[in-house]
Amino acid sequence: MRIIVHRDKCQGHARCWSMAPEIFTLDDEGYIVPGDLDIAPGDEKMAWRGAKSCPERALEIAE
Amino acid sequence: MASVVTASSIPAHVPPEMVRDFSLFTAPGMAPTPNGDPQAATACVHAGPPVFYSPMNTRDGKGTWVVTRARDQRRVLQDPETFSSHRSIFASALGESWPMIPLELDPPEHGAFRSLLNPLLSPKRVMALEPAVRERAAFLIDRIAAAGTDCDVMKAFALPFAVNIFLRFLGLPDDRLEEFVSWANNLLHGDNVQRPVAARTIIAFIEDLAAQRRRQPVDDFMSFLVQAKVNDRSLTDLEVRGTGVLLFVAGLDTVAAAIGFDLAYLARNPQDQKLLRDEPGRIVLATEELLRAYPTVQMIRVATRDVDFDGAPIRKGDYVSCATMIANRDPEEFSNPDVVDLGREDNRHTAFAYGPHRCLGSHLARREIVIGLEEWLKRIPAFGIKAGTAPIAYGGHVFGIENLILDWS
Repeated sequence: MRIIVHRDKCQGHARCWSMAPEIFTLDDEGYIVPGDLDIAPGDEKMAWRGAKSCPERALEIAE
Repeated sequence: MASVVTASSIPAHVPPEMVRDFSLFTAPGMAPTPNGDPQAATACVHAGPPVFYSPMNTRDGKGTWVVTRARDQRRVLQDPETFSSHRSIFASALGESWPMIPLELDPPEHGAFRSLLNPLLSPKRVMALEPAVRERAAFLIDRIAAAGTDCDVMKAFALPFAVNIFLRFLGLPDDRLEEFVSWANNLLHGDNVQRPVAARTIIAFIEDLAAQRRRQPVDDFMSFLVQAKVNDRSLTDLEVRGTGVLLFVAGLDTVAAAIGFDLAYLARNPQDQKLLRDEPGRIVLATEELLRAYPTVQMIRVATRDVDFDGAPIRKGDYVSCATMIANRDPEEFSNPDVVDLGREDNRHTAFAYGPHRCLGSHLARREIVIGLEEWLKRIPAFGIKAGTAPIAYGGHVFGIENLILDWS
């Protein structure tokens, strides 16, 4: 599973980080660090929940 | 407050069939109502069109377009080039025009100020503030528990809690707490005489504090602000004022109101109250649902150009309202939106708005609410609304609740 990070859409809600802090990394201002994420099989559920929590739709789940 | 809608208050370019008799100020359930539920009362708009025109939908009686669907509110709030937030809400109470910062600045100017302030209220920074927040909640609630078996929650807990955290953030002592609360009350809920007086008082306070910190900086927010640089220059006096004022108006009433609405919900729903008391690990998720069900603000934007919005002929200068409580009850976004489900997982609510102006204080606000509920449930046994009393809830510019008397005798 892969998560495509649309950094330009991130507005720093940090909902993804609060769901899965080990998967989603924030910068010092609280916005997501750029770069798509490859998700280990065991982390898929948490990653899915984090991605689905984004109010701005900045995190796209690619299977 | 309510007055008759006349044809003259509706601009000529608004098609009559797009006008609806709904407003956050005058619709049924928006006036102060004993046992009212003003957020739920806004859900009626979802039976109607996605966009309509409300002839009186601001505090000063101006008309706005009303965008009801969450998806469409995202389109508006994520597009600050077309829908600007430069409105001088605060300054207009004085007949002046200067922005609250960063809220009423547009990109790219907005970005520099936002980058300056973001680290101060980032999720990680808020984690560092948490012990002090929890200590303050525990102190206030212990005092309430020691004093008896009922209390006025807003006066005894929600307001002093939120104001204390704000004062601490500014680096000020607690002894002016009641004064601050009365300023905020008069500013947000006062009449046409009280509002400008409160606005001038707040400005004088902020400018005096800024002057003190310029002379003698300490480790607090205002010292940071007067020493800060944006685009390699210091902030102007008006920028310091605009930033300080925004912090003042944004951080007090909203968090207190949220805590009030949440405790009122738990008082009326003993099963949910018991669930959170027995399993406090559920409070974080439950808080998101309570933020969805009981948000308190509407975002208003100004169109910077003529734009056709799904058939709505929005003209340059028109106001466009994105009310959080309306989007949060959108059936296309949330299953069973009128049901409060504290275990709701798929919950991309807009209590803190969408887009670049997403509430700067959202991370602190969230933690204040979570910690407030955690400490309250830990320290106060099963509680309900005190018999013979009725909390008064209201809509308007900022939704709120008063006279919330809880009883645990």
